[in-house]
Amino acid sequence: MKMKTRTQLFFVAVTLVCLPHFLAADAPPRQIDLNRFPATKLDDVVVPLPSEVFNVLDKLGTPDWRGEMRSPNISSRGARAQIALMLGSVVAEGFVAVEAADKERVKAIGQDVLELARAIGVEKTVLSRTNAIVTNADDGDWVGVRRELDGALSDVKTAMIQLRDDQLAHLVSLGGWLRGTEVLTSIVGKSYTPDGADLLNQPDLLKYFQERLAGMPPRLRNNQLVGKIQKSLNEISPLISQKITPASIKRIHEITSDMVRAINSNA
Amino acid sequence: MLKARFVRRLIIAVTFLALGGTCLASVDDAIARATEAISPYVKQGYLVRDDQWGGDLGVKQQQAITHTLFKGNDYWFCTGTDNDSAKISIHVYDNRGRLVENDSWQHGRSAGAHLVAPATGTYYIIVEILSSPVERTHWAMVYGYK
Repeated sequence: MKMKTRTQLFFVAVTLVCLPHFLAADAPPRQIDLNRFPATKLDDVVVPLPSEVFNVLDKLGTPDWRGEMRSPNISSRGARAQIALMLGSVVAEGFVAVEAADKERVKAIGQDVLELARAIGVEKTVLSRTNAIVTNADDGDWVGVRRELDGALSDVKTAMIQLRDDQLAHLVSLGGWLRGTEVLTSIVGKSYTPDGADLLNQPDLLKYFQERLAGMPPRLRNNQLVGKIQKSLNEISPLISQKITPASIKRIHEITSDMVRAINSNA
Repeated sequence: MLKARFVRRLIIAVTFLALGGTCLASVDDAIARATEAISPYVKQGYLVRDDQWGGDLGVKQQQAITHTLFKGNDYWFCTGTDNDSAKISIHVYDNRGRLVENDSWQHGRSAGAHLVAPATGTYYIIVEILSSPVERTHWAMVYGYK
């Protein structure tokens, strides 16, 4: 009996000694050296969905969302590059309309998305999404509208990649980012807080867009609008690579507003 | 060997189709496992992005996914593999190389990491095959946020 108790105690002691070792075997390091990065990086960074950004903006109080709304004239579209940029920008506009809880505007944006998708040859891909946008807007289901807007953006990009139009897919993302950043800087600029300014701390995302533009084939890189945007991104880059001040927010807003205007102007 | 890269499900599928039906099933299995892993969080109000990232890795190999996260957003990153006997992990580091996740779990062929982003900026989501009976193990990652 005594022997049995000793054996049990022995195993308990061994378990107690070894358990932390086994648990620690799979424990991640608290710190990694980024100069000797332990992992292979995926080629592309993850471009956040517009709803990830607007999710944060929801928490920034109650901005005047109606005052942020714009009415892009999609009939002014020109080359495919402009349509792609416009498509991303219009989807971002949809999020502003959702924040403003403007049903009619959201429904109109759903139609704009469909028309732009048609112009670029991926209409079928987004048809069910745009129908759902209209239905959800009618029902006042704003979460549903956001989900469908995100989905429309993803579906369009996937369809473009399938059509071997990866470059245009990047322009769709960029168009959304530009309009999103224009809105973000407008809201943060009107009521500056360090937390609000921190939302612009996206240097790697900006670098990603710059690299995508730089790697585009000459037919796209030589497009006047694409060239203008490339130049403007280079101007934004130093502004978000340091402490983001009210002055830099104002300047980023001016630049992004100018780019969004160019996207929506006659080609 | 498939080079891991940013892919949506269809793109992964098309790539693997070129390599054979078995691989296609493997990627679908990995995606299904990752999706299964994140499903409990949907009930907690997390919106799951309809995109997946994936590839294949050898044992003890790691893959990093670079992502801009926004301060105050609450994220769950979940991963899964196609192999029942494999062990996979996922962890989140910030742009100073610090482990920043609030919580994580590892259950055999799936794993999850939770983070309420303390600041807006670049983060690295690192996936690792801890053990596997096969040379290369397919993995997939999905994430949700609220």
